[in-house]
Amino acid sequence: MRRKRPTVVCLAAALALTGCSAASTGSGKGGSSLTYLTFETPSLTAKFWDTSIANAEKKVPDVTVKKIVAPSTDRDAYAKQLQASGQFPDLLQSITPSTFATAGLLRPYDQKWVNANFLLPLGNAYQGKVYIPPTNSQIIPEVFYDKKLFAKAHIAAPPKTWSQFMAVCAKLKAAGVTPVELGGGDPFAASMPLVGILSADVLGKDPNWLKERYAGKVHFTDANVKAAATKYRTMVKKGYFEDGALGVKYADSITNFTSGKAAMYMMGSWFLGSVPKDHADDYGAFLTPTEDGSLVVPFSVGGSMAISAKTSDPAKATAFAEAWSLDPANYKALIEGDGAFPMLKGKTLDDYGVHVTKVFKDSYSYVTQPNTKVSAFGWATNDDSMPSGLNNAFYSASQALFSSDDVDGQLAKLDAAWDSATK
Amino acid sequence: MTTRAVSIRVRPRRGDPALSAVALAALGLYVLFIVVPVLMSAWKSLTNENPLLARADFVGLSNYREMAHDSALTASLGFTLLLAGAVTVVANAAGIGFAMLLNRTSLSFRMMRTVAFLPQVLSGVIVGYVWRYILARDGILNHVLVSLGVIDRPVTWLGSPHLAVLSVGIVAAWVLTGFTTVVHLAALQSIPVELYQAAMVDGAGRWQRFRRITFPMLAPGTTISVTISLITMLKLYDIIAVLTSGGPADSTQSTALYIIQLAFTDDRYGYASAVSMLLLVVSVVIALSVTALLRRREVDL
Repeated sequence: MRRKRPTVVCLAAALALTGCSAASTGSGKGGSSLTYLTFETPSLTAKFWDTSIANAEKKVPDVTVKKIVAPSTDRDAYAKQLQASGQFPDLLQSITPSTFATAGLLRPYDQKWVNANFLLPLGNAYQGKVYIPPTNSQIIPEVFYDKKLFAKAHIAAPPKTWSQFMAVCAKLKAAGVTPVELGGGDPFAASMPLVGILSADVLGKDPNWLKERYAGKVHFTDANVKAAATKYRTMVKKGYFEDGALGVKYADSITNFTSGKAAMYMMGSWFLGSVPKDHADDYGAFLTPTEDGSLVVPFSVGGSMAISAKTSDPAKATAFAEAWSLDPANYKALIEGDGAFPMLKGKTLDDYGVHVTKVFKDSYSYVTQPNTKVSAFGWATNDDSMPSGLNNAFYSASQALFSSDDVDGQLAKLDAAWDSATK
Repeated sequence: MTTRAVSIRVRPRRGDPALSAVALAALGLYVLFIVVPVLMSAWKSLTNENPLLARADFVGLSNYREMAHDSALTASLGFTLLLAGAVTVVANAAGIGFAMLLNRTSLSFRMMRTVAFLPQVLSGVIVGYVWRYILARDGILNHVLVSLGVIDRPVTWLGSPHLAVLSVGIVAAWVLTGFTTVVHLAALQSIPVELYQAAMVDGAGRWQRFRRITFPMLAPGTTISVTISLITMLKLYDIIAVLTSGGPADSTQSTALYIIQLAFTDDRYGYASAVSMLLLVVSVVIALSVTALLRRREVDL
């Protein structure tokens, strides 16, 4: 009997340890204590979150909000970890609603409140319900260009059609300028040109393509997708991206472009936050050119926080989330630092007290003007979002197409990955 | 007499209670942290568990059937086996070489031994970061090679699928060589000097002495070193995660990385567990057969 004791002690200690990791979301006396998952970036600092939380707390009586900071900007991954360990937060900032809503973990917002306050109330709705207030939007990607380098290659105006775009690339290359910067070392950045071309060519012609892919009516191996992917492959083969672009990290690709090492840069509109303020007028932006020159805006509506379906105090959690989402002060950091386009109804840029560049204002006009908006391929958080895991397969295919001619093979792989992810 | 002799021999077996307590504690920890998780994982591999869903259904062997058609898994296994094989050979050959170079007793050689072991002491994450700076396109290696005139333009060591595989292999071999050097050094020092003296009297040259004495006498050390090298490489995660994140285009995605992606990005705990079981079986089969082969070589001595 005596010999068994150490094992028993070990087991008891282990059980005690696992027992400690329960969620701490219980409500206190009188008020509610809520947990709020956030993440930090250079523009969304700890101070930003603390101030914004304090401001929203003032508007909702008897609520204390405890900030949880995700260890990286991948808050989806951290939210999953918290869920797996029984600590799913009450409020979750900018997560992908579809991932969590399918599992019944999120609580939808009151549609009347959403309709009353936002420009595109259903912009990121998932199966008809809004899980994240559509507070801001992005264009993914825009083609940013360096006006000085365009002038150096005697290019008068940005291209509108695909053939003009190819001519511009050829002219730049002939003038000794790298046409397009690509941070191919980070998979998401490597996929940007393909996101642009697929959004423009495939979704531009058939905005429901992704929903039809879910239904199995269309495939990546279809001729139109192949033609689009081949365009990207052609750009690579003609040497329009810099040499060894797959070895360039995303952060370096930003500095390469802003220091004039390449003439164009296909990136999400968040790059607007990185445009050098002292010579911002040197930069312009256009959208991925289409065959016939028609304008297609690859659009993604993001948003503030989702509310957990399991929260101990749904009323207070909703009140806090609504107060936070309508506070114009919270938009300033998002607009100036992340280049986010605000989507509050009845407000102009002046209402947020922001200083923005001309290229920001030009880009924002794509959002506010009536035009063909499609979901940015692979970036949408609404019904056009790709199944879990497909983004990685898509990034990987983008990198593979940089060094392989096997367009058919890569597209077939995407179909296979899609089928196994949706099984 | 006989009784006394027996009682003396049996005594340590009955053991002193403190010793059996330690043994039991060790066994308990082993069961808790190895056996139980493996059993849990084996059970999960028969379900479709998803971390976001409350319930998981029993799906029988369907996860295992799916593995047969998973081209990403095949690619990751291929890469992992290639890496394990190549790095084990290179690191052990280099380890034997370094061990022979450092097999002296003066202070400077003892210090160099410590230096040789250093890569093994560093965390894989740190190693990954350091090498990422060395191998980056505008990194130290390219600077040196360009300024020496060896290459005209920077090479993307981590940016093309084939070179990235080579780079990961080199870094892994660098880390592992520290370990293989130390193991082989210990083995070298157990070889009786008399053997060499006798061989020299018989007129054996350097190469003959290495081939006939050193190499065979190193066998016990080699068995341990090769087996542990193989196991380390088959489960390699940290260095690759930092160096290439499995890219570009999944060319350096080890099976361990693939398992993490399946579980934590794709939310497929069930399938990820099945792949883990496969990796476990592959590792066990390789480790046991290699150990058996090398043991046979030891017996031949």
